Amino acid sequence: MSAVGISALKVLAALGLMLGNGVVMIYMLRKVLGHLHIRLGPIHVGWKGTLQTVMDVLKLLTKEDVTPRAVDRWLFRLAPAVVFVPSLMAYAALPFSDTWRITNLDSGLLYTFTALSLIPIGLLMAGWASANKWSLLGGMRAAAQQIAYEVPLLLSVLPIVMLVGSANLGTIVEAQQGTFLAVLPRWFIVNPLFWPTFLIFVVASLVESNQTPFDMSEAESEIVAGFATEYSAMKFGLLFLSEFSNQFIVSALGVTLFFGGWTLPWLPASVVSALGPLIFLIKTYLGIFVMMWIRGTFPRVRIDQVMQLGWQRLIPISLVWIVFSGIVIKVWS
Amino acid sequence: MSDICEETLGVGLLCEGQHDPGTPPAGLRRAPSGVDGLTTEHLIINMGPQHPSTHGVLRMIVEVDGEEIVAAEVSVGYLHRGIEKLAEHRRYDAVGTLMDRGDYVSGMMGELAFALAAEQLMDVEVPRKAHWLRSLASELNRLASHLVWYGTFGLDTGAMGQFLYAMREREALLDILEALSGQRMMFNYIRPGGVVADMPLGVTEKIRAFLSTFDMYLDEYDQLLGGNEIFQGRVKGIGTIDRQMALAFGLTGANLRAAGVDFDIRKARPYAAYPELDFEVPLGSTGDAWDRYNVRMAEMRQSARMIAQLIDGMPEGEHTAKVPRIIRPNAGEVYASVESSRGETGIHLISDGTEHPYRMHYRGPSLYAAQALEEILPGHLIADVVMIIGSTDIMLGELDR
Amino acid sequence: MRPAIADIERTLAAISGVSVAEEALGTVARVELAFVPDALSALKAAGYESLVDFDGTDTGEFVELTYRLRSYALDLELFVKSTVAYGGTIESVWFDYPSALMPERETAELLGIHLAGHPNPKRLLTTDGVEPLLRRDVLIRTVEEVKAR
Repeated sequence: MSAVGISALKVLAALGLMLGNGVVMIYMLRKVLGHLHIRLGPIHVGWKGTLQTVMDVLKLLTKEDVTPRAVDRWLFRLAPAVVFVPSLMAYAALPFSDTWRITNLDSGLLYTFTALSLIPIGLLMAGWASANKWSLLGGMRAAAQQIAYEVPLLLSVLPIVMLVGSANLGTIVEAQQGTFLAVLPRWFIVNPLFWPTFLIFVVASLVESNQTPFDMSEAESEIVAGFATEYSAMKFGLLFLSEFSNQFIVSALGVTLFFGGWTLPWLPASVVSALGPLIFLIKTYLGIFVMMWIRGTFPRVRIDQVMQLGWQRLIPISLVWIVFSGIVIKVWS
Repeated sequence: MSDICEETLGVGLLCEGQHDPGTPPAGLRRAPSGVDGLTTEHLIINMGPQHPSTHGVLRMIVEVDGEEIVAAEVSVGYLHRGIEKLAEHRRYDAVGTLMDRGDYVSGMMGELAFALAAEQLMDVEVPRKAHWLRSLASELNRLASHLVWYGTFGLDTGAMGQFLYAMREREALLDILEALSGQRMMFNYIRPGGVVADMPLGVTEKIRAFLSTFDMYLDEYDQLLGGNEIFQGRVKGIGTIDRQMALAFGLTGANLRAAGVDFDIRKARPYAAYPELDFEVPLGSTGDAWDRYNVRMAEMRQSARMIAQLIDGMPEGEHTAKVPRIIRPNAGEVYASVESSRGETGIHLISDGTEHPYRMHYRGPSLYAAQALEEILPGHLIADVVMIIGSTDIMLGELDR
Repeated sequence: MRPAIADIERTLAAISGVSVAEEALGTVARVELAFVPDALSALKAAGYESLVDFDGTDTGEFVELTYRLRSYALDLELFVKSTVAYGGTIESVWFDYPSALMPERETAELLGIHLAGHPNPKRLLTTDGVEPLLRRDVLIRTVEEVKAR
């Protein structure tokens, strides 16, 4: 098969993963939130309500696509795509196992962050083009918070890059193979040097993926639905699909950087390499579960508090931590 | 009087010098656009009547500079049903159905206010048991109402769970109220002369079973929302209504007590069985949203305490006085007020001796809380608006009547 | 509780045409319409810091206004009454009592009177063109009439 054909297949696979992830996550979200809230979630369509999401997707596809008269038509139509495409791009560098990955980029970490940082442009476009004041506020909030948190997100993971000596996500995972004392895995989360790093990463990635307690840009109790207020049918579907996909990506990044990616130290190497993608997905969905848990429990932070936390706390702390861990790594080796 | 008039958000003009410029609601004064020579325009946003968290159909016209509010006007009337006019055409025993639909989350207190007003004009001796049943129904309903407030306050902050947890307790309460009155929300239980039915068998056990877990759950809920740092960061110091402002805007109930004014109709003008009950009136100090939250949570504990006393000490006897089928009270003019879950619900009743009230004025505490919003909103962020509305616990049903 | 008649008379001594009486309603001070703002200012200075309720009643000849004042410090309640002709104008008291802002608008629209000196004298509850509903001559169907249809 030609190189172009293989690339096309890989893109299709990523698209399939993204759509499948959307369907799985909506069901998971409903069930997790349902049980957190002492109710059941969907139970009627299919076995334990599993087909409910399929029905919802069908509903979204067949719904009337309303375009309000006052919107900026081109931007309004383009915005979901501008949100969707970077989200799809971000799958390219994720290492699902030592062989399963779309590309093997040496700058994989930077590439993924770059892809994620394109999303606010789309949200701002959606907010502006909707000609709705709530949308505009939502778009502005999205832009403000995501720009503010890209910096600490990237700074927070620099110590890992310094230790590993590479920004290739695959290499970072390989550096976490093996165990300490035959019990503790050599994951970076076990290393006390990376505990502050991990905390900053969690906060910043919650903001980046627009999750409670930082779901400012679509805070339904404040600004109705934020940038998505005027969207309906599949345009709305695309916006939300990319949101779920972002959640998957930051969770996958967290797994890659701190929880050893596809590796599982207690199993023999042959089993791990066979089950790699499965282990990776299970870890990722555990991360997503924690995000949903937070979503079901926590109230929302105010926009000025988010900005303050980002600029005044997280960025200085991560800068200081980079210097400190740089010295530690230098002295250690 | 000077001629310098500023355009207000609405149609009207606000003239300076006419009155002390510090006194009018800050929300009605339009601030000039542009800061430090930058030409920026303020955005005027219609918040409501269709908005997820304006607690019904409240509409606020807010003028924002970025996200900060510089002017706000509260516009009401989207739920106006003319209850006061309708009452002029109802017989006295049927006005309770209207009162239920005023403050529809705490209907018992509205009914009680009307019944107390009508009884002042009637030659009737309300039996002791009726007083106790009225207090019991009021306190159960107050809990149910405060739980709705707690849940929606949680929703306003973006926490979904609190609402559904509160609904679990409310469900048990509505079951009890249904056993008591036959209805879950529109009770029509308290009528002039007494209550409509005696306690049914088994309801005491139901209430005891509810109370046995309620305090534990309430502590849990308080910990879940009030113990959360994020929530505290959201509510502390916002929407401050100090003592002076609370009095000037005629606030009552928990909103007034949060400002440190010790006034509860149940203590100050005792009615029903309250003189015989042992309870405390929780007070706040600064009057911000956090104080209002704490006062309401403490009120729920007091209500649970009162319910326990009420079912333990429930007297024997008749549940209603002998009241003619068609009530024709003496002509006259009276005023009766009760402490409802949102504040002082007052009924100004004028009778001309016929079977219909001549005039019934219904004072809804939410109306006064809503107009105080115009004063306190400017200077806050849009995210704070929903928190402040949530903390004042306004109910659009009694605001628009 | 009810204040003493003599105290209220002393407070309102400077205002002509005041009569204070004890009624079923409570202690009621009747003031001529023109002196209502002055009387309320004097009462506010005397400690009645909160206007708890304001409403109007169509008595068949004129509209009767009822201001309900409360002093939390003294624990006293007082009613101030005044009358206004149909279509007449009342002076807003929002300078002394901001809580009158909305009740005044409501009373004005539902009883067909005008407001003077109000910062925002729009209709409150109903839309333009709705008759003053609380007037006795505005008829609605009674329950019996609706049932008989």
